[in-house]
Amino acid sequence: MNRLRTLPEALGEAARSAEGYTFVADGVDRRQTYAELQASAFRVARALREAGLRRGDLVALVIADAEQFLTALFGASIAGVVPASLYPPATAGDLSRYFTLTAGILRTAGARAVVTSAALTSGFEAVRTSCPELALVLSREDLVAPPLEPDALPSLDDIAFVQFTSGSTSAPKGVALSHRNLSANVNAINGPAGLGTTADDSGVSWLPLYHDMGLVGMALGALYSARPSVLLSPQAFVKRPAEWLKAISHYRGTVSFAPSFAYDLAVRRVRERDLEGVDLSCWRVAGCGAEPIHAATLAAFAERFALVGFRAASFLPCYGLAEHVLAATFPPRDRAPRVQHLSASQLTEGRQATAAQAGEQSVTLVSCGRALPGHEIRIVGADGREAQEGEVGEITLAGPSVMLGYYRDAELTAETIRCGWLHTGDLGYLSEGELFVCGRAKDVIIVNGRKYHPQDLEWAVFGIMGVRRGRVVAFGIGEQGASERVVIVVEPSGTAAADVLADTIRRCISDAFGLYVDEVVLVPSGTIGRTTSGKVQRAATRARYQRGALIGRATDEAGLHA
Amino acid sequence: MQQPASTQIEDGVIDVLKNVSRRPIEPTLESDLVADLGFDSLQILEVIAELEDRFDISIPLNGVPATRTVAQVVAQVARLADSREGPPTE
Repeated sequence: MNRLRTLPEALGEAARSAEGYTFVADGVDRRQTYAELQASAFRVARALREAGLRRGDLVALVIADAEQFLTALFGASIAGVVPASLYPPATAGDLSRYFTLTAGILRTAGARAVVTSAALTSGFEAVRTSCPELALVLSREDLVAPPLEPDALPSLDDIAFVQFTSGSTSAPKGVALSHRNLSANVNAINGPAGLGTTADDSGVSWLPLYHDMGLVGMALGALYSARPSVLLSPQAFVKRPAEWLKAISHYRGTVSFAPSFAYDLAVRRVRERDLEGVDLSCWRVAGCGAEPIHAATLAAFAERFALVGFRAASFLPCYGLAEHVLAATFPPRDRAPRVQHLSASQLTEGRQATAAQAGEQSVTLVSCGRALPGHEIRIVGADGREAQEGEVGEITLAGPSVMLGYYRDAELTAETIRCGWLHTGDLGYLSEGELFVCGRAKDVIIVNGRKYHPQDLEWAVFGIMGVRRGRVVAFGIGEQGASERVVIVVEPSGTAAADVLADTIRRCISDAFGLYVDEVVLVPSGTIGRTTSGKVQRAATRARYQRGALIGRATDEAGLHA
Repeated sequence: MQQPASTQIEDGVIDVLKNVSRRPIEPTLESDLVADLGFDSLQILEVIAELEDRFDISIPLNGVPATRTVAQVVAQVARLADSREGPPTE
């Protein structure tokens, strides 16, 4: 299956099989064959054309329902328009803020139409005044015209879709992928150096489809290999994590991917009685990616679920990003995660992976494996030359999966893709050809010539009582000719007094890293934004702090402003 | 009989909140789940699952955004438990 195919071509081929997706909602499953989904897509395609959309127009899809989303995506592709996926409003979110943010994306992208659920159409109608190019707000439920005979099918070099990622470091940006990109990545994922997909495989996923791992990894990966996939809703998983494991057991799933946090949630929340009758021995590939991978989480999961047939060798920790379609590296299959225990100070200060000595502060990193076949990986040091074995640098990638660019943003595209190399902004090192990821390049805090990764500080603060779980941002503020000031922004949970909390945080960072925290800022709940993949919006929070727009209390500047 | 039943629900809700929080919290009826008790969206869904099991009810997700205080949670659980048909469970 190394042939490159456009999305409509892959759908057409899958439609000749008897396979399809099974959509599970509220305990009811609904199977739709690829042939049935193709028929729905033809109807969507005709409706989009009749609404006045033309080849190359951008259509934003804001649809939470998996079946409705996928058929809209396929239909747009068949109609020759460019589909873009945007995340729908959160279950418990502030709708007016959502529409303000989303209007910004629609305006920048020059979207011609929004296709959304009936419940959201009035909200999008209301933002049209601020989006001059937005001509149409369409309800997905209304897109049912007689099927269209395809006459504007895309070619391999047309845009397959634009994914608006919220990236950890800035405002949302649209990753434009060609059909060639998509097919190259999916083929590599399914290929022998990836999942090694066979005719016996079937997927189970609860991942959102507006995120690359859910869309490309679980939905399109199955489509391109004409294999079945069972799709649950993200809410169903978060509410009852046992539903994920039960679905794998029930549908005899062989492939299922999730971020590290999901494995942690399963360990903490699945109860003994949930596991009655559950058998995970079918789970051949337990993929893990999309966020930093905690070695301890994987170990705890393997230990906990061994009694229902889970094998640690099923884990496939991998690295990737939307700008590279999805996957960039895979370790060999059927191998328990490979970890390295490193000296924390050597890693941050020396940019060098060195084994930790006894008694030394250490960091455990998980191997994400090797570059995909036909793709290349290179670690670039601070001086721009290729890093040595074990030397930390920026991860750069080349090959057919590197995105076309950021949609309508030539400047950012030129900054990110240089001489064919995608500069990921992530830090890592290679050890015997395998990639270990250690953080993001742009966020490094430098104090007195020593470098600290904000994520490390944040993880340390996560464990402190009185801090809302996962709501911590650390950054440095550069001052002319002086060391950076270290600022930690925290959302308190209200269980500790403000001054005590600030004191505890400072002591914790001082103990763990020997680093003085210049300022602890306590902000109201909801101030620290998250990206669609759950990472904290560090750069955005830092920018707000610098603009003086962070509404909170600086509990102790410690009077050290010189 | 109404007083004991509602006290029971109140105690049950507070018990669930304490268990889910995994931190020492002292919820009162006036506590705001997010602002005072520090629950995030993941934990709120966990609270819902726990309440459903404990009270044998089904909580619709579309009513969740409007529920902010412990008193509102107690009221919603009481309403759902009340409208539940059929013989009592044990």
